[in-house]
Formats: sequence, structure tokens, C-alpha cells
Amino acid sequence: MNIKEYIASGIVESYVLGLASEEERAEFEEHCRQYPELVAARNAFEEALEKEALAGALTAPPQAKNDFLQFIQETGLPSPVKVVPLPTNPLMPKAGTGVKWLAAASVILFIVTSYFAYRFYDQNKTLQDTNQQLQAKLKSTDSVLNKIAQEQRLMSDPNVTVVNMTGTEKAPQSSASIYWDSTSANVWLIVKNMPKLPSDKQYQLWALIDGKPKDLGLFDPPAEGKVMLKMNNTQRADAFAITIENRGNTGGPTLEQLQTIGKTRL
Amino acid sequence: MTPKITYSEPELVALLQQHDQQAFTYLYDNYSGALFGIISQIITDSHTASDVLQEVFVNIWKKIETYDASKGRLFTWMLNIARNASIDKVRSRSYQNEQKNQSFPDNVHDIPGQSVKPAVDDYGLRKVLGRLKQEQRTLIELSYFQGYTHEEIAKIMEIPLGTVKTRIRSALIQLRSMI
Repeated sequence: MNIKEYIASGIVESYVLGLASEEERAEFEEHCRQYPELVAARNAFEEALEKEALAGALTAPPQAKNDFLQFIQETGLPSPVKVVPLPTNPLMPKAGTGVKWLAAASVILFIVTSYFAYRFYDQNKTLQDTNQQLQAKLKSTDSVLNKIAQEQRLMSDPNVTVVNMTGTEKAPQSSASIYWDSTSANVWLIVKNMPKLPSDKQYQLWALIDGKPKDLGLFDPPAEGKVMLKMNNTQRADAFAITIENRGNTGGPTLEQLQTIGKTRL
Repeated sequence: MTPKITYSEPELVALLQQHDQQAFTYLYDNYSGALFGIISQIITDSHTASDVLQEVFVNIWKKIETYDASKGRLFTWMLNIARNASIDKVRSRSYQNEQKNQSFPDNVHDIPGQSVKPAVDDYGLRKVLGRLKQEQRTLIELSYFQGYTHEEIAKIMEIPLGTVKTRIRSALIQLRSMI
């Protein structure tokens, strides 16, 4: 390309005055990077134009200046603004305002969530504890009720024989009853009042059949109140008796320690 | 009217791009007259021209970061902002309504540039323009001062587009030799 011809074509003036098309402008700027003489020609025309324009200057109305200065003071940026590049941590991505807000929001969300999580955990634990307590209470109430019902059934059952055992001379306070179902051979012991024993001793229930004792089971005096205990079965019994024996006694009855006795047939 | 230069152009641009108020005051003091001159060559109403001048400086303030020194001088950039703002104003509906209210419109069938009598033609570029041949003057008037595209001028003047381009170019070359 002949740069001199290009410069002389009027493109310089056309470009500077803003009359060149978009395509022409792009081409001109491209050539400027390549040809210093084109830049020099452009500069020369720009300077001449500026000189001409300054020569043709009119006095601007003072109000326009005041309005402009007021504008830049009110809406403009603080002056002077020093652009200081912030030291950037390569490990930390530049956080935009959006990211900062997001971070702040997530921290708040975390705190709120943690608080509720703790509250729900605490509430749940309390409810579980209460539930367990209620269940335990229900269980014990149920068992008491069952025993009462069982006792009630036994007492009203025509096949059941009630044998009241009274205290011997050794233990006049002791008393217990036997509910004996002669058809099913089931034996229940109702402890009314049996004194507490040393920890190595237990009570033992016997059935006397033709003058011979039959072991119906060892038992500890119940901690409280009237309790019905299911003892070993027996088809026959002339009398029932309770002795005090060593814990886990496997031998016969110690008759000297006979506490209560009751005959099945009066 | 040559302003006292206290900043080199790169210094001034650097300060302006930091929105330095003192630099803007300097810019205004030194260039508002020249820009008001060019605005007044396009807008005849002095009150409107004053509004546009203020608008131009606000735009310079807002757009200063986009100024690229490699593409031309600061004044050229400002001059083009002033020219474009003035042409936009003249073409705006509100300005045209104002003009209609003030005076009965000219014959709409007249060719623009031939019928328009600029209020001021004895200074600045228009003064130079006066030394051009009538045909070249019309072309510069239409393209530079009224912002018509080459295609529009080709239609208005009923001449081929290629001819418009070459004639404008030759008018510009003439102009160049005069300033």
C-alpha cells in the first residue's frame, strides 16, 4: 500500500472529524499501528483543528460552569481518587460484593440452623426421656393390675382352694395365703406379712403330703405390700408350710424354723 | 485565546481518569469556549447550546476512562462528543417542537444545507467552510454539522453514493489545506 497516497486521500480528516465509516475507522487504526507517518499526519491535523477551534472559541455562559462543577461535587467521585492495587492473596479468590453477601448469609444461616438443631435435639431428648419414664411406669402399673386381676380371678374361681397360713409361736406376726387350684395344680402364694431376713436366708414353701414335705420353691420376702408369687405346682397337699432356710437350700425343711402353717382341709 | 498549559496532555489525561476535580476545572476553563463554539455552530439557540455544553462536560466526566490516547488527541475526542451531542439535540423531538413553536417552519421540501442559514458563520470551522466551493460547503454542512450519513446525502442530493464519498474526501482535503 502506498501510505502517502492513503494519507493524501482525505481519510485522515475524515477519521479525525468523525465522518469515517466504522469499516474505514478500523482500517485507519490498523494502519496507524503500522505506519508512524500516518500517526504523524493524524496528529498534525488534530493539532491544526484544535488550534482552529480554540481560535473560534466563544465565551461559555458562566452558569454552565457552575452547574458542571456542582454536578461533579455532588454526584462525582471523591477527589482525587488514588487507584491503589490491593495486594491479592493467590489462595483467596477475589470476593465480589455478591460473594461477600453470600458468605455473610451462609454464616447467619449456619448459626440459625445450629440453634434450631440444638433446640430440636434437646427437645427430642427430653421427650424420649419422658417417654421412657412413662413406659416404665405403665409397665409397673400393668404388672400390678395384672396381679390384682389374677388374684381376683383366683379368689372367684370355684376350683381354687384358699389356705390361710397363720404364724407359729416363733413368728406370730407372719401370715400368708395359698391359692391352690387342685385341677390345674397351680399354686400361688400371697404374702401378707413376712418379716425381712438376713441376706443369706430365704423363705421356703412346702406342701405336706402324708406327713412328708414337698419343696414348692424358695422366695425372698417381697419388698413392699401384698404380693402374689407363682410357686411350684402340686397335685396333692394336706397342708402348706413356710420355713426359713439357707439361701438356695436344696435339702429338707428345717422344722425348727417353721414360720407359718395351714391345713388344706379344716 | 491560547490557554496557559500547566499540564502535559498525558498528565492531564491521567488526572482526569482519576476524576481529579482540579483537572476537570482546568479542562473546563481551557476547552469549554472551543467546545461551546462548535456546539453553537450546530445549535442556533444559545440557551439550548449552553445546556448541551454542560451535558458534554458531564459526559466527558462519565466516559473519561474510555478515552484511548492511541486513537487520537483528547481534544479530538471531546470535539466528537460535543458534535454528536449537538446533532442528537437538534434531531430530538423536544428541540424540534421548540423550534416549531418559536418560528414557522421552513419549506420542508427544501434541501437541507442550502436553505439553512447558520446563525454564526464568521468563526471557527464555518469560517473556513466559507472559503470552499458551494457544493463542497453543502457536503461538509450536511455530513459534519448535521450528521447525515453518506447514504442519506446521496438521497437528498440525488447523486450516487460513490460520488458523495469522493466529493466529501476532496472537500476535506481542501479544508485541510486551509487550516
